[in-house]
Amino acid sequence: MTLHLTHEQLCDLILADSSLPFEGNSQNDSDVVQAHLRACLLCSAELRNLRDSLSHFRDASTAYARQEFAQSYAQRSSIAPPHSFLSQPLYWTAAVVVFVAALFPLSMHRQRSIPPVTATAVSASPQTTESDDALLADIDQKVSADVPSPMEPLADPTAGAASTTSTSNQRND
Amino acid sequence: MSSRAITSDSHSMTQHAPATPLDDMASIVATYEQRIFRFHLVSIRDRDLAQSLTQDTFVRAWSARDSFRGDCSILTWLMRIALNLIRDHTRTDRFRFWKRVSETAVDVSDIASHVPHRDSSLESRLIASEQMTLVWESVAQLSDRQRSVFLLRFLEELELSEIANITGLPISTVKTHLYRALATIRARHNATQKDSL
Repeated sequence: MTLHLTHEQLCDLILADSSLPFEGNSQNDSDVVQAHLRACLLCSAELRNLRDSLSHFRDASTAYARQEFAQSYAQRSSIAPPHSFLSQPLYWTAAVVVFVAALFPLSMHRQRSIPPVTATAVSASPQTTESDDALLADIDQKVSADVPSPMEPLADPTAGAASTTSTSNQRND
Repeated sequence: MSSRAITSDSHSMTQHAPATPLDDMASIVATYEQRIFRFHLVSIRDRDLAQSLTQDTFVRAWSARDSFRGDCSILTWLMRIALNLIRDHTRTDRFRFWKRVSETAVDVSDIASHVPHRDSSLESRLIASEQMTLVWESVAQLSDRQRSVFLLRFLEELELSEIANITGLPISTVKTHLYRALATIRARHNATQKDSL
């Protein structure tokens, strides 16, 4: 026997599992260990210390987990509606209303976008096309002219005088 | 946990499938939810994550209820699912990231305020709080396997045979993990006592 309990002996005392199969010498070992515990203050103090630590750990963890669980349960209860409500017509009606409300702006947008399409179609008629062509041809002609028409030189300033002379000659004749 | 959804669904399902003990999922959730949540919370140490994994545990249990053969208790079966979920989750890099930045992570000070005060003296309360803190911090140092076995034994107070059933390990291996976990705690105990002297 060693001076103090081995680590395994100390652990076996802490574990103390009734589900483990009973081994042949375990009763004798247990008696020896118990006798040592009664005699050795160090081992008994360490065993008590370890048991207390594990007990505090278990109790505190359990209490904390219980509190956290209660809080999370309360939050879920306040946020989530009872599931049976989903089967009520009220929820389906609300869903339909939301769906229609979502479709309404889309239909309005579609109605507004239709008139420009028809105007485009009208402007594409043959008459409009001809008038546009004539207008474009006129603009093109004016632009392509070298000198604007108001600035064109006079045709022949002497042509008028010649005609006047011939007229006077005829009168003289 | 939307246990009512599962229950209402179960009524339609049980007309076709043979009845199993897990068909009444509402009562199973009511019985075991808090305990599964506690195991997740102390294992993961994150409130939101513990809630999420608790829900996942029961969803998986419901999905796999046909595979429950009744050769173990329902708690053992649920704990096995919970343990697998924790193992899957803690392996991911995403978990390691959220572990660093999570605001819902459980701090030791949160737990220390819940140490029961059987003795009203201030000294004994301080000692109890220190002892609890020491174990809490020691558990964080354990490997994943050691931590799971330790919590199943000292938090859930399951017997070694049940732990062996949950983890799929031999009882001797379970005992070895517990010896090592307790060795870590003892080492910290001794170091703390030396520091105080």
